[in-house]
Amino acid sequence: MQVKLTKQQQVKKWALIGVGLLLLCILPFLLPKAYFVHVAIMCLFWAYMSTSWNMLCGFAGTISLGHGIYVAAGAYIVTILLNTFGITPWVGLIASCVVASVMAVIIGFPIFNLRGAYYTLSTVAIGEGIVVLLTNFREWKISEDLTIKIGGAEGLTMQTMNSPLYMQWRGKIPYYFMILIMLIIAIVVSDYVKRNKLGFQLAAVKDDEDAARALGIDVRSVKLKAAILSAVFTALGGVFYALIIRFLEPAAVASGATMSNQIVFGAIVGGSGTVLGPAFGGLVLNLVSSVIQYYLGGSVQGLHLFIYGVIIVAMIIFKPTGFITVLEKLYYKYLGIEISDALDAPEEEVAVDGT
Amino acid sequence: MSLMPSIINGASMGAIYRLIAMGLTLIFGTMRVTNFAHGAMLMLSMITAYSVWAATGINPYLLIVIIGPLMFFVGYATQLFLIRPVLKAESDKNDPIGVLLLTAGFSIVLENLALMIFGADYRMAQTDFSNTVFTFGRTSLSAPRLYGLIITLVVSALLWAFLQCTEPGRQLRATGQDRNTAALMGINSEQTFAVAFGISTALLAVAGLVLLPFYYVTPSVGNVFQTRAFIVVVLGGLGSVPGALVGGIIIGLIETVAAQFMTASVTSVLIYLVFLIVLFVKPSGLFGTPFH
Repeated sequence: MQVKLTKQQQVKKWALIGVGLLLLCILPFLLPKAYFVHVAIMCLFWAYMSTSWNMLCGFAGTISLGHGIYVAAGAYIVTILLNTFGITPWVGLIASCVVASVMAVIIGFPIFNLRGAYYTLSTVAIGEGIVVLLTNFREWKISEDLTIKIGGAEGLTMQTMNSPLYMQWRGKIPYYFMILIMLIIAIVVSDYVKRNKLGFQLAAVKDDEDAARALGIDVRSVKLKAAILSAVFTALGGVFYALIIRFLEPAAVASGATMSNQIVFGAIVGGSGTVLGPAFGGLVLNLVSSVIQYYLGGSVQGLHLFIYGVIIVAMIIFKPTGFITVLEKLYYKYLGIEISDALDAPEEEVAVDGT
Repeated sequence: MSLMPSIINGASMGAIYRLIAMGLTLIFGTMRVTNFAHGAMLMLSMITAYSVWAATGINPYLLIVIIGPLMFFVGYATQLFLIRPVLKAESDKNDPIGVLLLTAGFSIVLENLALMIFGADYRMAQTDFSNTVFTFGRTSLSAPRLYGLIITLVVSALLWAFLQCTEPGRQLRATGQDRNTAALMGINSEQTFAVAFGISTALLAVAGLVLLPFYYVTPSVGNVFQTRAFIVVVLGGLGSVPGALVGGIIIGLIETVAAQFMTASVTSVLIYLVFLIVLFVKPSGLFGTPFH
């Protein structure tokens, strides 16, 4: 919702953002165990991934369940460049971005013709196909003295350098700030996209693709732009994943169950299509699951994922617009803006009576 | 080397994919829902069947008397309590995407529930005919696969007869063609959806029982079959029952015949490749009608 804020409300808004950032900055120093810092890092990581996914799928209303391939692109390319050629991730991440955008274009060109379930299912097929490929290629012999190790099913370990030159920091806290900065950039970019021409075009496509086309929007090029943006950000997330975990397993990095679907669930639970929703969703979902795993995980196998699944199912049934709508209400209350329910009610609820 | 054994094996595996895919296509055809919990439901039927078999030792095929109605009920209840509210909220959209994610979430719930109760072990029902092999001339086929082929063929024929010749079947097809018109003709679409879901999961009960004597059971067993079933369904055209038949045969054959010439892993990449090519050339599948 677009609201023109008064000066006082502007101050209030920036105060809220400032306090939030400050809290996030001092948080890692307050956590008593390195494990908790790791959990905080992973929460921000999933928030970041869901935000990246949202740039294409939330704004354009297409559900991709295959974003794991971009994660894999980022993670594997950076690791292979470091292991085989000794190229630092600072440079490698550029290669990752290039490869991810090329992938987005190659995949996007044919696939954007497909709609709804067909689109989603083809992203599933591409994702699982890539997992199978990665699982089965252990190495790639280019010439006599050059063999690229891909790892196959055994996985691929990133060489340890322990030097900032190779983006490998001492301790967990630098990683925390790294992902925090990445998340802030992703949110700012999302916000920029949403407020500008591309965002409006995407919203039109999301609402009604045929109508958007009739209005002169080049649907495919708009989607491709968003896809490239989303792929690049997701690949950077993959780079971060490689740096923090330092071990890549095809199933963990690219498969639907462990990567692609989790990204989507975060975005949906938070509220897909909004700027902050996916970040909140990814963060909270991961936090809840980690907390349950920490306190109960040892006792019953699968319990934390069971509860994780129940939360997702309950959210989709009872709050399909995501819990960002709740936060939004609180936010407007804080600013002192009255919003009437009629304006705020999502269209779906109004339409129910008609059927 | 003759290709005959692998063709027959492919046909029997393809028949099972087909049975699973038919349930999927039935749900999609009637209510435009892509069920991502289909694999988890298959796992549920296999685990329940395994547990009953382990406790009693009855011939797995006879267990259909218990597992069939049970799975029908599970599907019916899933539709009523989980899918319906979300579907209702999204009734103005052509592609209910919330439902798709709901079923994906539900599959996590089911899989981990099974993991909590059943454990992560791989188990297999060793029946007295599990190791029997029939030989016809130069080809041979293991008994469970042959029985499986026969049972799935019979069940497919029954389903076809149900859809074509009975009143509930007609209602199902009518609802699939046009939900609103069907409702105007006095068809209770809520009821029809629930029945469609129930039949779909009952088909999974059959598939699960057929798989039991020669396939391992584990909480994640559904994933392999689910991805295959998706491919079969899209290949044949989402919502088309004859399409699922043909798609199942194609995938089964590619899988086993191609495995004669290349490694099994390359075969599965080949399946994804065929799938993507068909999708890009004819997005509505081999038998599907173009979507609107």
